[in-house]
Amino acid sequence: MNKSGNQKTVKRFNLGFRISHWVNAAAFFVLYISALPMYTEFFDWLYPVFGGPAGARLVHRIAAVAFMLPLPIMIIFDWKGFSNWAKNIFSWKKHDLQFFPQFMKEFFGMKAKVPKQDFFNAGEKINSWLMIITTIMLICSGLIMWFPQYFPYGIIMWAYPMHSIGLGLAAAVAIGHIYMSLVTAKPSMRGIIKGDVSEEYAKDHHGRWYDELQAAEPKKKKHA
Amino acid sequence: MTNHWNDLKHADVLMIIGANPAENHPISFKWILKALEKGGKLISVDPRFTRTSQMANVYGQLRSGTDIAFIGGMINYILENELFHKEYVAAYTNASYIVEDTYSFNDGMFSGYDKGKRSYDKTKWAFKKDKEGKTLKDPTLKDPKCVFQLMKKHYSRYDVDTVIGVTGTAKETYLDICKTYASTGEVGKAGTILYAMGGTQHTVGTQNIRSYAILQLLLGNIGISGGGVNALRGESNVQGSTDFGLLYDNVPGYMQVPTTAESDYTYQGFLDRITPKEGYWINKPKFYTSMMKSFYGDNATKSNEFGYHYLPKLSAGKNYSFMRLFDAMHRKELEGLLLFGSNPAVGGPNAGKEIESLSNLKWMVAVDLFETETSSFWQKEAGADPASIQTEVIFLPASGSFEKEGSVTNSGRWMQYRWQAIKPKGESKADLEIVHMLARRLKEMYKNSSNPADMPMKAMTWDYGESDHPDIDLVCREINGYDMKTKQQVKKFGDLKDDGSTCSGNWIYCGFYPENENLSKRRDSTDEGMSNFLNWSYAWPANRRILYNRASADLNGKAWSKTRVGIEWNAAEGKWKGNDVPDFVVDKGPKDPTFNDPFIMMAGGKGALFASINEGPIPEHYEPYENPMSNSFSSVQLNPAVQFGEEEMNAQGDVSKYPIVATTYRLSEHWQSGAMTRSQEWLAELVPHMFVEISEELAKEKGINNKDKIIVSSARGEINAYAMVTKRFKPYKLKDKTVHHIGMPWHFGYKGIVTGGSANRLTPHIGDANSTIPEYKAFLCDVRRAK
Amino acid sequence: MAETIKLVDVTKCDGCRACMVSCKNWNDLPSEMEDFHGSYQSHEKITANTWNVLTFNEQERKDGGLDWLFRHSSCLHCTEAACEKACPENAISHTEFGSVVVDYDTCVGCGYCVQACGFDAINLATYVDKNGKEFRKAQKCTQCTDRLEEGLQPACATACHTGAIVYGDKDELLSSAEDRLAQIKERYPNANIYNPQGISGTNTVYILADKPKTYGLPENPKVALSQIVWKDYAQPIGKMMLGATTMAVIGSFIATNLNKKNHSSEGDQSHE
Repeated sequence: MNKSGNQKTVKRFNLGFRISHWVNAAAFFVLYISALPMYTEFFDWLYPVFGGPAGARLVHRIAAVAFMLPLPIMIIFDWKGFSNWAKNIFSWKKHDLQFFPQFMKEFFGMKAKVPKQDFFNAGEKINSWLMIITTIMLICSGLIMWFPQYFPYGIIMWAYPMHSIGLGLAAAVAIGHIYMSLVTAKPSMRGIIKGDVSEEYAKDHHGRWYDELQAAEPKKKKHA
Repeated sequence: MTNHWNDLKHADVLMIIGANPAENHPISFKWILKALEKGGKLISVDPRFTRTSQMANVYGQLRSGTDIAFIGGMINYILENELFHKEYVAAYTNASYIVEDTYSFNDGMFSGYDKGKRSYDKTKWAFKKDKEGKTLKDPTLKDPKCVFQLMKKHYSRYDVDTVIGVTGTAKETYLDICKTYASTGEVGKAGTILYAMGGTQHTVGTQNIRSYAILQLLLGNIGISGGGVNALRGESNVQGSTDFGLLYDNVPGYMQVPTTAESDYTYQGFLDRITPKEGYWINKPKFYTSMMKSFYGDNATKSNEFGYHYLPKLSAGKNYSFMRLFDAMHRKELEGLLLFGSNPAVGGPNAGKEIESLSNLKWMVAVDLFETETSSFWQKEAGADPASIQTEVIFLPASGSFEKEGSVTNSGRWMQYRWQAIKPKGESKADLEIVHMLARRLKEMYKNSSNPADMPMKAMTWDYGESDHPDIDLVCREINGYDMKTKQQVKKFGDLKDDGSTCSGNWIYCGFYPENENLSKRRDSTDEGMSNFLNWSYAWPANRRILYNRASADLNGKAWSKTRVGIEWNAAEGKWKGNDVPDFVVDKGPKDPTFNDPFIMMAGGKGALFASINEGPIPEHYEPYENPMSNSFSSVQLNPAVQFGEEEMNAQGDVSKYPIVATTYRLSEHWQSGAMTRSQEWLAELVPHMFVEISEELAKEKGINNKDKIIVSSARGEINAYAMVTKRFKPYKLKDKTVHHIGMPWHFGYKGIVTGGSANRLTPHIGDANSTIPEYKAFLCDVRRAK
Repeated sequence: MAETIKLVDVTKCDGCRACMVSCKNWNDLPSEMEDFHGSYQSHEKITANTWNVLTFNEQERKDGGLDWLFRHSSCLHCTEAACEKACPENAISHTEFGSVVVDYDTCVGCGYCVQACGFDAINLATYVDKNGKEFRKAQKCTQCTDRLEEGLQPACATACHTGAIVYGDKDELLSSAEDRLAQIKERYPNANIYNPQGISGTNTVYILADKPKTYGLPENPKVALSQIVWKDYAQPIGKMMLGATTMAVIGSFIATNLNKKNHSSEGDQSHE
């Protein structure tokens, strides 16, 4: 795979999608860091970094606003990417389910036979779903905590555990996602940074999408 | 107080009328609650439902200024139903005294009235005497001319329906109160009446209190533990200051100030005038001469009538009370004013006019803890034009009670010494120091004068030390008094002499500092019986805790009730003994003809059901100066003995223009004119706004919502305030109409951390016929929403 | 040490508000001048600088009379305190006296306790440090724990002249409360002792003249399920999940490297 640099590439993510992803990632990271000291006293040393708890709260709120932007960005600037993503994550087929046992083998460096995957593989689909759920949890509960004066006592009280659970899940998802991109599926980084991936990678990891691309190629040219 | 604070817990029934101790004397509730826990009943009678009313078993509403109607009805109820303490009334009061035939009462007027002077010839109400000068009595109380029968006849007009038509009290409640309180007439039971400025601040103030006293005498409630007529003093040391001659016509110890009248030309003539023939006051010359010795020391000799001519004299017939001083100021008759902790710009009646009058002064010295509305009356904030006011105002900062040493005499007549807790702030000084420095400088200035007018200042002794800081112990010793020769402290006022051999600054305090112990410093909290705490501080007179305690025992000298022992005659030892210091000659036994004369200060030794004060011997209801209805009891509307002051100071409002009855009061959280409390953040925040309490009914009628800004107006002026719409105020259902009433605290002014309209801008400049205390508690006004 | 409580008998209270002033005095709290509330009540509710507020409540009695009900309202010091449970920093704890106190060094001013308290008894105070920067701390009645440590009574109890606020032995006071309740039932038929068992009782117990609702108190407060879910499950599990994920990642990294060495010939098969 070391030849990937001068290999033929295919377009994977539009700019809108990528911006949306990175805004999301950055906001999440800032939210995560600014919340950590309160989440567990192990990270209390982070308070001074933000200039005290008040600073951490301010940063958290600014990041919270950023955290709510990706969806509108995506919808406005990359409707196609968005609808593709939406279509993808709702599509669950046999190859998706077969993905997981093989993935586990692969994850720990063992020999695996992963079936051909869609534009988003089953892992990414799960990742998307977890992200959607946790994001909704975090945003809703977060807004309630931010503006408690508009909500009844019972709801406010539930917002705290929701935010907490949301964070736990989201952090787990994020760590897994980051690890995958950095360690086990490095070339995918190029996709989300530059927007394209090598044909090789596409073929290996997203076989069904690659097949679709190949099938659509002449047609595309025709229409072009 | 005839009794004292701790004693309240022994009452079976407590009636609080014209007072609001839960708010203004909160500590009293420590003792009142103990009485209630033992099954005692608390009655609250007030125009409005107060914090005291909430603590009470029964709350009775009465229209401001109708106490005599209310109490008169109770007296009638007790007499009609024979619920009075028969033995007590017959033996210990003047019920059996026969009144002269010249006495009469007709349509609200007693005999002997002089319309021009607005005063009575009191000799018309004298008691009938036999040839030897002894008062005629009918112990059966049947003689139609005896006090009892006259009183019964007088109050027979106060039937329940007429009374509640005047007071606006609900009938059921009124009867409940009558029944509950009359139950204390039973032998051995005790009922107490607590009153304060709600009782006194009326044109009939003195008679209001007289009516309480009559009620108590009828029920046998005076002299016994848990009984009494108890004045709750409005300030921590009002008792002390009155004891020491605060009033213009008093010298220390409740003795008179000489006048320019012919009778007073000589000391002897003056003494003859002021000394009664009977009762303990026959000793007055001893007390008076001893007082003059304390004033003038060796400069008071027999040959110069003990310095009598050094004393300032009142112009005969002239009234120098608070309102009359402001009248004089208004007429520019007064040049200067020295104010000690006094804030008339907020606290005075018709304060707007009083503030105007201040600008007629050439100079004013204000001694206070904070700059008050009065000391800043010339400032812009006060609505004044500083350029046009020529009064020179000097402000002397005074120290607070914790910053100085001295005694405070509480309502129960307990003289309690206090020590300095903290040093005074800045340049502030104790009142005593300020007076001391002033006296020493004045004496220095007059030192070489030969002008006879300056002699009083030269003759006055001022030997409390040579520095600016007086030796307070010397002051204390002189108040008690000592032998002029030996300088030994006098042990009791009975030892005072009228020959100039003793001195005593105030005879009623004589005995608090015998030998070398200042007894007001005692703090022994052992209760030797009936919670009289005889070794805690010192109570005047002679450390007696309950006045007239001879009346706590029956005609044989035995306690009326075993559970309520005051003093009893101990035949074996031949003296009175018990839980209190006897307010009686200690060895006067059953053989003495005056054995059953407990009221030692009164001529005849009997409690005065019938007593001649300015407007008559029996309290009669008259309407306030400003009133919403015609008098139901007679055609006389206003107390006929009330004197009018300067006309311009005293505008009168009519019910057609000002249909609402108003009253003023204090709150727990603020004190007096608010000078101290509105300058203290933690108190100011508790009540930071001037408000007016109004009923839901009146609010609806006037289109006022709770929290609205409103304007209250009277014939004297207008103020702004917030409306506090409350269920605690209810319109009065009177005989032929419904009348609204409002109430407001009088604590606010334009200085301090929190400010607001001064209620006294609205109050009338008229007062009681005896004491001239202003009628703050009942006047007419109107309210409207502020635009 | 025998257990101690503060007992507030509102039927003995004459509404003088000495408790409010003595509290401010002892705890050196600043005054707060509020707008006119249309009644004698000075503060709408307990604030971070006004730890106890005397509430005034007018209501007509069934017999046609009127009741003007006073209540010294301040932190109840719940045995199972919502604020304590809510605190993500564990800055709130129970003392040996049963009082609930905030550790000001640990408190970060997040305000979760403020939301969690069902009695509106804890609030955030804003301060300014010496650099002019604002910071917040949760503040509330400490039941004068500092005084208790010195063998004194809470300032409000010391100031209360009618004995409406007393502090002392729990068993003694609770039994005296029962006696008092029997005494006042005639005057106040709805009188009750407020010591909610849903939160295992409180360290400030009330004798109320009327139903808790009249005083704005919850009838039967309980430890909220949401709090249990959060503090007893969500947070530990969340922390565990963070740990597990991290461990999994580290494990993956190590295992991948190890396996890579072992199966170097098959490297191409890896979905790297």
